[in-house]
Formats: sequence, C-alpha cells, structure tokens
Amino acid sequence: MTTVLIAEDEPLMRERLVAMLAQAWPEARVVLVAENGNDAWDGFLEHEPAVVFLDIRMPGLSGLEVAGRIGKQAHVVFVTAYDQYAVDAFDAGAVDYLLKPVQADRLDRAVARLRDKLRAGPADLGDDLVDIVRQLKAAMPDAPREKMKWIRASVGRQIRLIDVADVLFFQSDAKYTRVVTAQFEALVRIPLKDLLSGLDPAVFWQIHRGTMVNVNAIAAAERVDAERLQVLLRGHTEKLTVSRSFAHLFRD
Amino acid sequence: MWQRFVQWWQEWEREQLAVLACPSLANSTPLGYRRVLATKLAQLSEIERKQLADFSSTYTGRKMWIPVGWMALAFSIAGLLLQLALAPGMPLHKAVIGANAIGFTCVCMWIGAWFNYRQLSRRMLRALGMTILLAILGGIAGFSIAMLTSEHGYLAELHKIPRIVGIMGLGAITLLGVPMMLITIFRNRQYASLTAAMQRDAEQDRLARALSETQLRLLRAQIEPHFLFNTLGAVQQLAEDKAPRAAELTANLIAFLRASLDEMRNDTVTLADDFKLIDAYLRVMHVRLGARLRFTLVLPTELAQVRLPSMLLLTLVENAIKHGIEPALRGGEVRVSADQADGVLHVRVEDSGIGLQDNVLDGTGLANARRRLALAHPGAATLSLLALEDGTLAEITLPLAA
Repeated sequence: MTTVLIAEDEPLMRERLVAMLAQAWPEARVVLVAENGNDAWDGFLEHEPAVVFLDIRMPGLSGLEVAGRIGKQAHVVFVTAYDQYAVDAFDAGAVDYLLKPVQADRLDRAVARLRDKLRAGPADLGDDLVDIVRQLKAAMPDAPREKMKWIRASVGRQIRLIDVADVLFFQSDAKYTRVVTAQFEALVRIPLKDLLSGLDPAVFWQIHRGTMVNVNAIAAAERVDAERLQVLLRGHTEKLTVSRSFAHLFRD
Repeated sequence: MWQRFVQWWQEWEREQLAVLACPSLANSTPLGYRRVLATKLAQLSEIERKQLADFSSTYTGRKMWIPVGWMALAFSIAGLLLQLALAPGMPLHKAVIGANAIGFTCVCMWIGAWFNYRQLSRRMLRALGMTILLAILGGIAGFSIAMLTSEHGYLAELHKIPRIVGIMGLGAITLLGVPMMLITIFRNRQYASLTAAMQRDAEQDRLARALSETQLRLLRAQIEPHFLFNTLGAVQQLAEDKAPRAAELTANLIAFLRASLDEMRNDTVTLADDFKLIDAYLRVMHVRLGARLRFTLVLPTELAQVRLPSMLLLTLVENAIKHGIEPALRGGEVRVSADQADGVLHVRVEDSGIGLQDNVLDGTGLANARRRLALAHPGAATLSLLALEDGTLAEITLPLAA
C-alpha cells in the first residue's frame, strides 16, 4: 500500500483533494493531511511517505521549500493555482503538478504516472525536482514570512528574551521546545516544528526531526557506528544525534 | 556673399528653434554670441519657450517678409499723410524714412515686450525709465549731428533742446512705454492663467492615473489565480454535499464582485457601501481559510454616509489577509473599524497576523493608496502602517467635512 502525505492550507481544498484521491487511488493510504509547510515537513520526517502532494503557497515553509528538503526521498506532486510560468517550469521536467481547483481526469492521469514511477522504483528521483524548485523560486517572489530574532522564554521565575543568534540548539520536548544557550537553557511553549520556518536555514541546520543546531556552534561530527553520527558542540557537553535523513549534511 | 548670409541666418534660426524645443541643447551651441543667446532661451520657462517657438516657426522666411512688407507700406503711407497734414515743409523722403524708423522701432519693442513680459514685469520701472532715457539720448544725439551740419551754426539751434527732449520723452512714453506696459500686464495675466490651467490639467491627470492604477489593481486581484481558483474550488467542494453553504459562498462571491465593480466606477464611496464590500470579501475568505481567519467590522451609524476614496479600504484589508493572516501558521483576526474624534475620521484595519515584514512594502498598493488620498484631500489625509506586538495596524485619517 502506497503511503501519501497531503499538504494544503485551505480546509475545503484539503477536503476535496482527500476525497478525490480516495476515488482516484483507492489503494493509497493518506498518512497525514498537513495544514501548512512546517507540519508537512515534520509529518514527512515522521511518516516517510512515498508520495507527497504539496500546495505551493502555504503558511510557514512554502511547498517549494518542503520539496527542496524532501529532495530524492519521495515522489512530489505540486498543487498550484498559479498558471503559466509555473506550468512552464513543470512541463520542462518530470515532476507532476495539478492546477487548482483539481479536476478528476487530471488527478487520474497524475495517479497513473505515480503508479508507473513507483513500479519502476526510486531510481533517479529528485534531480528534476531540485531543478524545478530552483526555477520556480526564481520566478515567484518570496511570500512574506515570520523571521525570528528573539525568543521569549521563561527561565525559573524570569521571562527572558533570547537572541536567536545565541542559541546553540533547539530540541523538541513533547509540546515544548528546549532552547539551549552557552549560559543557560529554557523551555518554550512552542513546538519545534512551528519554529522551523522562522529560522534561517543557513544558520540553523536540522539534524534530526527533533533537533535544530546552530552551525556556528558545531565543533565536530563523529561516527557512533556504521549508521549513526553525532554532533559535538562548542561550549556545551551534550552530544546531539544526527538522524539518517540528515546524515548527508556531514558527508564530504 | 548674400548666399552665405542667408545660410548663416537659416542655420542660426534652426539652432534657436532646436534650443527652444530642447533647452539642454544650449550647451552644444558654438561659443560666443550664439551660446549667449541660446543660454538665455534655455532659461525661459516652458510656456515662454513654447510661445516663442510657435511664433518663430510661424514667421519664418517668406511668411516673415510679407508682413514686414505690409508694415513698411503702412508706415510709409502714414509718413506721407503726416507730412502732408502737419509738416508740409519737410522733404518727402525724410518723412517716409522717419515714419518707417519709428514704426519698426515700435514694432520691435512691442514684440520684445510680447515675449519678454516675465522679465519686464520684474523690472517694469527700470525698463520704462531706460526706454525713455534712451529715446531722449537718441534724440539729442541725432540733434547734435544735425546741429554740427547746420548752416546756422550750432549755437543758434541750442534753444530747440528742451523741445527735443519733450517730444522724444512724450513720444517714447506714448509709443513705447504705455503699450509695452499694457502688453506686459496682458501677457502676464495670460501666463498666469495658462500656468493655472496646466496645473489643473496635471492634477486631473494624476488623479485619473492614480484611479486607473487602483482599478487595475482591483481587477487583477479579482482574476488573480490564487483568489479566483481557490474560491471556485471551495464552491465546487461545498457543492458536493453541503449545498446551502455552497450557495452562501457563491452569494458572497457575487456580492463582492458586484460591489467591487460598482466601486471601480466611482471615485469615492460611502463607508456603508465600503464595509458591505469588505464584509462580502471577508466572508469569502473565511470560508476558504476556515478557523484561521476571524473578523469583526465596526461601523457607527453616524459615519455610514461619510465618503472615502473608493477601493482604498479593500486594499488595506487585502493586505491584512495576504501579508498578515495567510502566511501565519495559526492564522489570526482582522478587525475593521471606523470612528471619529475632534472632527477627524479614523478608519483602522488591524490584523493579528505575522506582522510587518521587510519585503512587504512593495507591491501592496500602499504607494498608490497614499497618492489617491493625498490627491483627494491635499495635505489633510494620512495613511499609516504600524507594527503591533502581534500583527499590523493600518490607519486612514481624514478631516470630516463640518
């Protein structure tokens, strides 16, 4: 059974895509219907679906950014209300797209192509995707986005404003997030996945579904065994586990 | 020789016309008298340059010589008549030459005044004084030459000097001073009304351009694929099994499109109509965004008939949705309200979205909205954006008509 993740920010469009997909592809199993880009990426890491339907314009991480992170790890179908220039970019590559509102015959064709690709195996998946994401990002202006500079956190009885640049790493702790600096650590009441899109990806690397680390704080990465890596920090003794999906960050 | 003169004259004329059409050319004219004149031409105002260029290009070549010929004829006849009537003793050729000299001097001075009215009006008294003084000096100079060649010896003619001074002074005042003053006054009035008309045209032009820019923006917003197709998709999905809600969404979409077409046709709109439009828009967006969008509208009844430039408020509300609520992970609330204090109307659009971002200020129609407000209420209206702790506040203030 093929696992599918759907990401779409408008509830009715979500409902529609789920209902239509159930008709067009009864043997697919929808593992998650995400309401924004951050949930989609987090859900992808959690469920590792084989197919992802991504709305391009979403709050938080955009569909393009999520696709960029997924890279070669799944088949992506974009869902978009945009027209010409987006369509041109898609038509040039092998990545599929659906125009909103999604119509049944078009979805049937997309499903047929997905079935073919899945039968053929995961070979050469993603090169087109990376290309197309790059083209589309050039063609579409960036949507406005919350960029975080400060984090409000309670430490004991104090409420502190923490400069994001001072944070060594963020670590998910159930519904909370641990914010660790060289001097102290604090718990904030925001799930890590909500912080994802507010952090500069060039400064904070995600190395695990539950960990974002400040690149400037990384002292070294060391091998635990044939599969696993961990990160050593400057100014902190804790060692952070790198999950398989992110091991490529440390390969030369 | 003659050919070279004609060539030089035509070239110079062309050069002057070119400078009048494009003042920056003055710097590429040959140095010397031509550069001096060209620089003077370039310093004239746009209206003056146009007037002068029109005149110069009309009266050129044959077209100039024909009126000159007619004038010479008229002056000669006048000289003849005057000689017959007033000074039968004067030789005929002297009368004709004298009449032509006086006539062409006057015409040249009048034309000079006709085109130099702005400089003249600034130095009217000085110019008048100079004209009269020069006329008197000219008279005395002419008289001196006549005296030297006089057969009676110059002392015998000295008693005529006061008369000469009087005649030249009076002549200069009646033939040159008064007409030039009148020409200057008339031309300056004409100039002022032309300038005013041009300003009015430019103002109207700016208003019209700003309005059509807004109309274009609104049209584009309605057919923007994201808005149009997502809304139609929502209608389609609701139609599957929630027909009453599909009907409601369609009704709101129709109300929004209808009202925005109405607004597009008008320059101003009442707050009551504007709030209706925004209500329809927000209801459409609410169905699409679900729990991510909450909104409230507050319009006191006493402000319902106050008028605002059309489509402004919608621009602000669209921005609140597009740049505040839609990009926010958890959505937020939009609050649109109007109130008055001390004779000033405040219209506020407040959202609790992601707040002002650096890249938001382009392409939000804010510059256009500000321009239209400023044109509709010069110096009195403001449109400001304020970053709130959570979200953004956009506020229009306008003085209420008493």
